[in-house]
Amino acid sequence: MVKLVDTLLLGSSARASRFESEWRHGIFYSKRLLGHLIFMIFSTLEHILTHISFSVVSIVISTHLITLLVNEILGFHDLSKNGMIISFFCITGLLITRWILSGHLPFSDLYESFIFLSWGFSIFHIVFCFKKHKNDLSAIIAPSVIFTQGFATLGVLTEIHQSAILVPALQSHWLMMHVSMMIFGYAALLCGSLLSVGILVITFGEVIQILGKRNNLYFLIESFSFVEIQYMNRNERNNVFQKTFFSSSRNYYRSQFIQQLDRWSYRIISLGFLFLTIGILSGAVWANEAWGSYWNWDPKETWAFITWTIFAIYLHTRKNTKFESVNSSIAASPGFLIIWICYLGINLLGIGLHSYGSFTSN
Amino acid sequence: MKTLSPLNSSNPCLLKTHFLKVPIFNPIFKFKPLPHNTHHARIAKVPSFTINSKLKSSQDINNKGKKSVSQKIVLSETSPPPLAVDKDDINGGSGNESVPVSSKKKGGVSGLAKKLSKKVLQILSNLSLAIGEMFTIAALMALGTVIEQGEAPDFYFKNYPEDHPVLGFFTWRWVLTLGFDHMFTSPVFIGMLALLGASLMACTYTTQIPLVKVSRRWAFLHSAETIRKQEFSDTLTRASIEDVGTLLMGAGYEVFLKGPCLYAFQGLAGRLAPIGVHISLLLIMVGGTLSAAGSFKGSVTVPQGLNFVVGDVLGPTGFLSTPTEAFNTEIHVNRFYMDYFESGEVSQFHTDLSLLDMDGKEVMRKTISVNDPLRYGGITIYQTDWSISALQILKDNEGPYNLAMAPLQINGDKKLFGTFLPVGDINSPDVKGISMLARDLQSIVLYDKEGKFAGVRRPNSKLPINIDGSEIVILDAIGSSGLDLKTDPGVPTVYAGFGALMLTTCISYLSHSQIWAIQDGTSVIIGGKTNRAKMEFPEEMNRLLDKVPEIVESSSSQQVDTITSG
Repeated sequence: MVKLVDTLLLGSSARASRFESEWRHGIFYSKRLLGHLIFMIFSTLEHILTHISFSVVSIVISTHLITLLVNEILGFHDLSKNGMIISFFCITGLLITRWILSGHLPFSDLYESFIFLSWGFSIFHIVFCFKKHKNDLSAIIAPSVIFTQGFATLGVLTEIHQSAILVPALQSHWLMMHVSMMIFGYAALLCGSLLSVGILVITFGEVIQILGKRNNLYFLIESFSFVEIQYMNRNERNNVFQKTFFSSSRNYYRSQFIQQLDRWSYRIISLGFLFLTIGILSGAVWANEAWGSYWNWDPKETWAFITWTIFAIYLHTRKNTKFESVNSSIAASPGFLIIWICYLGINLLGIGLHSYGSFTSN
Repeated sequence: MKTLSPLNSSNPCLLKTHFLKVPIFNPIFKFKPLPHNTHHARIAKVPSFTINSKLKSSQDINNKGKKSVSQKIVLSETSPPPLAVDKDDINGGSGNESVPVSSKKKGGVSGLAKKLSKKVLQILSNLSLAIGEMFTIAALMALGTVIEQGEAPDFYFKNYPEDHPVLGFFTWRWVLTLGFDHMFTSPVFIGMLALLGASLMACTYTTQIPLVKVSRRWAFLHSAETIRKQEFSDTLTRASIEDVGTLLMGAGYEVFLKGPCLYAFQGLAGRLAPIGVHISLLLIMVGGTLSAAGSFKGSVTVPQGLNFVVGDVLGPTGFLSTPTEAFNTEIHVNRFYMDYFESGEVSQFHTDLSLLDMDGKEVMRKTISVNDPLRYGGITIYQTDWSISALQILKDNEGPYNLAMAPLQINGDKKLFGTFLPVGDINSPDVKGISMLARDLQSIVLYDKEGKFAGVRRPNSKLPINIDGSEIVILDAIGSSGLDLKTDPGVPTVYAGFGALMLTTCISYLSHSQIWAIQDGTSVIIGGKTNRAKMEFPEEMNRLLDKVPEIVESSSSQQVDTITSG
């Protein structure tokens, strides 16, 4: 915005006489002051929004955790849902403010892409919330944990840092499509692989329980069984805790729960796969336009391709319907780790063409 | 008149199919995929011809048909599927009198070749093999990022020594013999990619293309029991099947109504799109191979004002690379300039290029910048880098002298160049002089012969500076443009593959839903299933069915009330 004003004034002053140019210089300076004022407003707005969203999400996560451990307190769920919606709007506002401030889309470095990742998560969570009229617990577990991740790392990075300039190589229209698709893809795939991990934990929970009764693992299994109990509570309003039927109905509800999780993870991983494909391909086309070759076996590219391959394996393992959920969950679970390596690990090492986003940046 | 679509139980690549829509007879055939058969249903080696007339519900077929439930056989108006339809496609079976004579007469060798190719095809289209291949490729790629690529063997001797190997066994011998130092062009990796390509081709051919024909067939289900066994099923009392049909049409389904039976589907593209995905992957692989084998690339740093010939710069990358006429073009750098941000950092750099053909005539002129290349005659010129080549100065009004600048530090877009103007006796061993440093073409920093800071000058200002008694005027800072040149015959193919892949992946996200209904007296029994959106389907169906009007008979006339039914 400031630049627009500047260029307009500079253009017109070239034609003016000396007196006029001095007059215009006066206006030029006052417009500059105004521009600075607007800049200040926006940056404080940005500060505020970041802090609000951070605190709201922390509150929401804590309520979720409490809900998980203690039996459900009425009203908490609405609180958490509204909290999520507030944080969604906060993050959206944050992104738009950064966009206006810096003049380019908020993609230029790691910090901004983290914010975008959190935004992606919040979108998916909202979609979850609105589709599941029955308020399924699966919509609670995964996004909460993911939000913790996203914001913990955001918290690590924050000193709400100044918007950086875009290096020449990033000044392209392809930037928008490539980075946004990749980050949406990562967000969806992370959700999906977390759900798969959940499936695995539930399926093998009993086995682990029998095999080794270490305290922390036991606790995790117990928390999942609370989850199942609450799932049952929600689905059947009558009293399920009749001792005679408890174990069998518990198994039934567990398998129902697994089926739900399985279907959700399938759907969201398919969506994430789609985004990832488009992201990788648009990155390749961009690389060809900018540097002349569409695939360089750059570490970041290679890891993105590895991620793509792992989730392609996931999609193919679902063809075999006999052990559909378990096999595919086994395939999708390492995906979680791989996505974090792809997204963070390469940047941390700071090698290759994608080193803009590294901590050890030039 | 419907033709048979046999159940595929022996080929694991074709799983979870929704083949059999034939109402009564679902004979189970065993068969092997035959390489010459194209689109028709395949019928097995004939001696093992068993017709098991077990009525299978689609549910059972989903469970791979291992258990079959005998159901009440409902005769429909269609005649039993004729077994004689595809006899002309039966190959390789002995003992069947309708085997075309030609294949039997072709002699032992080609018969053997056919059997071998059948076997190979069958192995290649195995899904587990494909998954294994994908996994191996992923693991190799991961290894390729961990191990440093392209270093001299000495590096690997140092880092993967034999006396204390990494992970206990991984020494430099592994790295160098397996080609892990150039992993992405090593035979192991390329071989795995080729194998994956072969699997892709085999799978597409044997299982996916027949899927096209089969899934377009639709068949009614005539038994209420079968319909009730679907994933989603419901019964509407006092409804008419035509209303259901109309509602489904309104919701975007394709509806077929025959007598009391109804079949509707939606999203068939979602079932066929994976074929497109595989084909576009193959296209990308072909294009990639073309690129790797047949392209030229090269890079050059040209100071402003100089020329170079394209053919001198480009070098081939593979055995298919053939130079074209355009390689004789001479390129002249008219001007190189940079844009800066307010903070002083480089925002963009541009080069004004003229292309001259062999006669010296200018054929093209364009200013390129990063992300904005020049294309001519199949050659693409990209702006990738920049440097400063020389400083033009006046010393004591003599000159102009061109001082070459040397790079002192290069770190992406933050560079430092320097040059030196000796003062006094040039030939003495510890000659002192004036140093000039520049980060970009905007400003030059000057230091005197003791190394003390003397001043900053912009090249355009022409302001003199007095250092150690000499008056220096900086006339110009001449930059040089870093250009990358490339020809790539595989790019159109690869781009086509990319576009197709993006499109087909989008489409394959759609869910193929099928609905059957039957009018049983005054009630309608509805069942349906979908292959992807398993959660939204029941809700969508419930919403739809809620809209079906309930038929209330009152004495002689029919009144239609729109109250919720079912």
